[in-house]
Amino acid sequence: MKMKWIAAGLILAALTGCQPATRNIDIINDEGKPVMALDYRDFDQAATAMIESLIRSGSLNKPGGGRYVVTTGRIINDTMQRIDTDQLMAKIEQEMMNSGQVVMTSAVGGKGATDVMVNEMRDLRDSDQADEFKTETLPAQKQLITPELSMAGKILQRNIRYDNKTEQVEYYFQLQLTDLASGLRFWQEEKILGKRGSRKAVSW
Amino acid sequence: MKQSAVYAMMMIAVLAGGCGKPSEDERVNIASGVGSDTLLNNIILRPVLKAFSALIGEGIEVKKADLRTNDEGFLELQVSGYNRSYNIRRFDYNVEWVDKDGLVIPTKTGVWQKMSVQPKSNFAILSVAPRKDAADFRMNTRKSN
Repeated sequence: MKMKWIAAGLILAALTGCQPATRNIDIINDEGKPVMALDYRDFDQAATAMIESLIRSGSLNKPGGGRYVVTTGRIINDTMQRIDTDQLMAKIEQEMMNSGQVVMTSAVGGKGATDVMVNEMRDLRDSDQADEFKTETLPAQKQLITPELSMAGKILQRNIRYDNKTEQVEYYFQLQLTDLASGLRFWQEEKILGKRGSRKAVSW
Repeated sequence: MKQSAVYAMMMIAVLAGGCGKPSEDERVNIASGVGSDTLLNNIILRPVLKAFSALIGEGIEVKKADLRTNDEGFLELQVSGYNRSYNIRRFDYNVEWVDKDGLVIPTKTGVWQKMSVQPKSNFAILSVAPRKDAADFRMNTRKSN
């Protein structure tokens, strides 16, 4: 009986030993193998290509000086994966602002206000609770700035059967920058990432 | 016998490399197998050249790095180079931008980017500084996985 318990313990220990240990990813120099789905390296690459193209294009250079007010419109996730498109846009928005040519608005956006407190404060101002606050500290009307430019786009996925064992997955990152007053498109870019791997590997 | 075979391969590679005139206009590169075969670069000798190129470790050579300031005041970089190898060379690179004091400018664009270069071909890597205060750059490369 005792021997059985010892054997069970040894098997358990051996099985536990076979499991890969948890390791932190070296985000700066990640030498991990590519995966069929989109991972952070793909978003980094796509975002870098977009940012460089945007800065090089000169579209953010406001005639007469000053900074454009920009909002992020709708970024459609047309892939088979659950993606938060902010994975792409947060980097692009950050770099646009850091370039000194743009200021982003949190008041309006494709998914509504990116900071709900902009609207919450106005609701508060118009509510009975406003009496609890100093009037001059509440946001006045007609203070919000309308965005001049909007960034919109799409992430597409296409799965193609390459051969009996291999699948090809294509990802298209498409972005465009539109002048909201005139409706004219100032800039557009597409970055394609392709992967080929086992049909058994899941890309969603 | 083995030694003489290696010497023969070396001679062929040196001669073929020396005869690496891409086309009448040096701006146009005619890839091996696209243009006409020559005495030293043909369907029989091409595998030998490839093998020898890999054996002696021919690879990427950077010729120059050009910087210019664009109309918006951002530094633009072009790194020009040549793939000496008879094989496609894939590698990663990243560009770090530094300000006038030599401090690295933190940016999301400083990540590893992919590059792929045809055999015996020129290539150019383009990058643009993310801020107007960039004064210089540093580039790193690594073997692609």
